[in-house]
Amino acid sequence: MSALTPEKKRELEEAAYQIRRLSIEMITYAKWGHPGGSLSMADILAVLYFQEMNTDPKNPKWEGRDRLILSKAHSSPALYAALTLKGFYPRNDIYTYCEPGGLEGHTDMTRTAGIESSGGPLGMGLSVAVGCAYGLRLKENSRSRVFCLLGDGELNEGNIWEAAMAAAHYHLDNLIAVVDYNKVMAKGFVWDLMSIEPLVEKWAAFGWDVLDVDGHDLEALAAIFYRARWIQPRGKPIVVIGHTVKGRGIEMAEFNYKWHTHAPEPEIADAMLRELSHRYSRPELGYSKLGDPREKESFYGGE
Amino acid sequence: MAENSPSHPIEMRDAFGQMLVQLGKEYTHMLVLDADLHTSSKAGYFKAAFPDRFLQVGIAEQNLFGISAGLALEGFIPFPCTFASFATRRALDQVAISICYPGLNVKIPGSYVGLPTSRAGTSHNCIEDIAVIRSLPNMRLADPGDNADLRAIMHTAIETDGPVYFRVTRYTFPDLFGADHRFEWGKGEILRSGNDVTLFGTGMMTSLCVNAAILLEKEGIDAEVVHLASIKPIDQELIATSAGKTGCAVSAENASIIGGFGSAVTEVLAETYPVPLARIGVRDRFVTSGSIGDLFRIHGMLPEDIARAAHTVMAQKTGRTA
Repeated sequence: MSALTPEKKRELEEAAYQIRRLSIEMITYAKWGHPGGSLSMADILAVLYFQEMNTDPKNPKWEGRDRLILSKAHSSPALYAALTLKGFYPRNDIYTYCEPGGLEGHTDMTRTAGIESSGGPLGMGLSVAVGCAYGLRLKENSRSRVFCLLGDGELNEGNIWEAAMAAAHYHLDNLIAVVDYNKVMAKGFVWDLMSIEPLVEKWAAFGWDVLDVDGHDLEALAAIFYRARWIQPRGKPIVVIGHTVKGRGIEMAEFNYKWHTHAPEPEIADAMLRELSHRYSRPELGYSKLGDPREKESFYGGE
Repeated sequence: MAENSPSHPIEMRDAFGQMLVQLGKEYTHMLVLDADLHTSSKAGYFKAAFPDRFLQVGIAEQNLFGISAGLALEGFIPFPCTFASFATRRALDQVAISICYPGLNVKIPGSYVGLPTSRAGTSHNCIEDIAVIRSLPNMRLADPGDNADLRAIMHTAIETDGPVYFRVTRYTFPDLFGADHRFEWGKGEILRSGNDVTLFGTGMMTSLCVNAAILLEKEGIDAEVVHLASIKPIDQELIATSAGKTGCAVSAENASIIGGFGSAVTEVLAETYPVPLARIGVRDRFVTSGSIGDLFRIHGMLPEDIARAAHTVMAQKTGRTA
């Protein structure tokens, strides 16, 4: 595959920037969410939704679409951001995140266009993706791909390896798992809490083709997904291990488990977003709802 | 393979396997998944008839239900087949979040329920599935009273959009219904009309309620027997009407009474027409290995036990009105 055109690269960079911005916007406004894992997978989502995946926001259930199962469903803000940027729903919907009837804290496929599965408990998405990939085979849909975005910490779950075994057993080379390997779990480093290494060898031993990539390099990601779709398939499922930085783009959150689940105060979010705009060499822009303080919870005296 | 006839009734699990095949002929998007138990669950009938629509997932129940969710997302109607213990304990998170929460079109047969399983014992004698499944939003739940009831439930289940759990007993018990029997969600059925006490049965326990009613008749007691295969939704109107008529009730289930069918009946009565009620079922104990006869005796679930409970609630009714 030829390298990305300068225009395409700028488009992907802008998408990644906006995914990061909107993630912080919605988490701050909702006063709840997972910034670290949303920021780490922003580049992966930008390349998937704006380069690799075939989707139709006007017809979200189009049979010929590529599917994305978000197994690390706590990172839903980044996916919600990608979907609104893609045009699945209005941008202002992001401020319904974690509100009744709005964008669910984890994922609810019945409420939000473009969300392909409901999730939350870790370790469950790869099985669902195996079912989708198997179903596509039965329907003789050979164009569509199933992408399954996994966290690194959830690779501790046994269910993941049940699904890994099955995907290889069924020869599902229309299934592409992507590991957002940001090295940090909820309460510390993966290697400290429960090691998953040697990761390449594990997936290979389970019968997968393993591709390794810098998960923040847009051009490298685009090349690896092209390879996964068109070049690699040979009767084995494919896993792309994307090496990422938890909290990527905002210094205080990078490699810092304290920003796994933590909503910034509006003033902190404002500073974070200004920093982010500098990193992307964009005009300085802070938190859009800074002058819009939300009511404090009053139930039993508040949170 | 055994065929069903009045003189040689087949085990319910065989009726289940044969009905899978019958449905498979009509519903080409139906799939059967197995976790290495198809000769026990009798899903093997489907494997033989439709090998291309049969998925073997190995001994991995969490994966069994996750894959079923994915297949349902692609428009198929999966029947993930395993023992009730594994469906409702090992894989509960997958059943609840991957399947029930989005309301996916997955039909879950829970095999080997309650006391009559084999001699496998505590780990395999599933007594908590009614309580567990009943608590899941979007889920429907049924426990068939005989093979015709099972067939009707399976037919209604595949016509119902959304998740369904139904129980399949590894046992042969008497026919209650004819071949033209129909099943409707939330509808119970009066099998025997009476005025003195209502015996609410579900699953195989309805047969034992009928036998209990015969015992009571010999003592001059006129018992009503109500079969409630549909546990969720449950026939609130029939429960209240029957209890309103007889003034006391006994519930009977092949499961734990904690949170199960008896609890469901009690909840309805407590909120509509409170009457004295006794629950027959497993009483906060695990069910060990043993012969079926021994187990029903040990757990006090024989027709004699149901009849005794009827006497107790009738006495409570009399004491209250006196």
